[in-house]
Amino acid sequence: MPEATAALRRGISLDVYAVTLAFVLALLIRLNLIPPVRW
Amino acid sequence: MATAIAQPVSSSSTGLLRRILELVPGLLLLAAVGEAGKLIEQSIAGYTKSHHLTFPNIEYVLWAIVIGLIIANTIGVPRLFKPGVLTYEFWLKAGIVLLGSRFLLGDVLHLGGISLLLVVVALTLSIAFMHLLGRTFRLKPKLTSLLAVGSSICGVSAIIAAQPAIDADDEDASYAIAAILALGAISLFTFPLIGHGLHLSDKAYGLWAGLAVDNTAEATAAGALYSDAAQKVAVLAKTTRNALIGFVVLAYAIYWASRGQAHAVGNKAAFLWRKFPKFVLGFLLISLLATLGFFAKPQLTSLANLSRWAFLFTFAGVGLRTNLRELGRQGWRPFAVGAIGEVFIALVTLALVYSADRYLHL
Repeated sequence: MPEATAALRRGISLDVYAVTLAFVLALLIRLNLIPPVRW
Repeated sequence: MATAIAQPVSSSSTGLLRRILELVPGLLLLAAVGEAGKLIEQSIAGYTKSHHLTFPNIEYVLWAIVIGLIIANTIGVPRLFKPGVLTYEFWLKAGIVLLGSRFLLGDVLHLGGISLLLVVVALTLSIAFMHLLGRTFRLKPKLTSLLAVGSSICGVSAIIAAQPAIDADDEDASYAIAAILALGAISLFTFPLIGHGLHLSDKAYGLWAGLAVDNTAEATAAGALYSDAAQKVAVLAKTTRNALIGFVVLAYAIYWASRGQAHAVGNKAAFLWRKFPKFVLGFLLISLLATLGFFAKPQLTSLANLSRWAFLFTFAGVGLRTNLRELGRQGWRPFAVGAIGEVFIALVTLALVYSADRYLHL
């Protein structure tokens, strides 16, 4: 459990990276720089 | 001199590269488990369709979680894979931000406003009830505080945020996290069954899952197991709940400081900002951009699909990080308090959702 606690504590500070990644991907899609993403 | 300066830069970039490489095996495992879940769903759907059989569609979400659970609790997740597996929270947050593109800001404000109202009522009742339970089961007061924060706000993240603020022991935090994780796993399987049993609409069920299921990953999965529309609402309601984390933790920090059992809170605005989940702002901003027509329709489809891929990694991680043996070793009392509290919260929020459906027109 301490391992999970430490990882999640680090995870909270990863919020900003997650938001940044999402916006970079959104921008790439907006500028048609990556092909359509399929599911 | 030049060598002396170049050395740390070189070693820090090597360190970063090594940390990124350490994530690769776990990320591949997440992708493999998620893909296997998708493959099973598609195979069953294809087989039943070609044989004209009537069989309920079991979403990839459930398969991915079950495969992850089986791996984690039989052979275990080897150390090599752990750093990558633990990134599932990162994918969850990125997925939620991207999901914002599927909401018009007006819907966010309408449903988010209703959620906020219900969250405040549920929060007050559940915190009071958890403290009553904690006293009845003679749990340590700070452990009770952590369980109350975890079950009423947003699970493990809230416990992690509250632990240093109220100067709680690591052991108490571990107990509370174990109980909340175990209960989250149970909610995942029970909520969709109850929702179907009660014939809840997608919106009502999504709101209920978002208000009652503790961890964001489990709330998202519980919504996805019901329907796509329910998942959207569950994420929105859960995000509203997450946004209140700072206020609740601040209240607890002030309470414990007033009793001389935690350090005093200095700048309260800075404290609130530190604890505020920043991905909520990203979610709102993407929703605003989508509302303003920043993205064309095919681009919105791509964003929605990217969000689904991010959630696929998350759901695989939920199963892989749940070690049932470890959870069982944490003792029955925190689990019992958490479980009784969860049932109470589930009932209260269900009543609130029924009322909102009737009087506030979801």
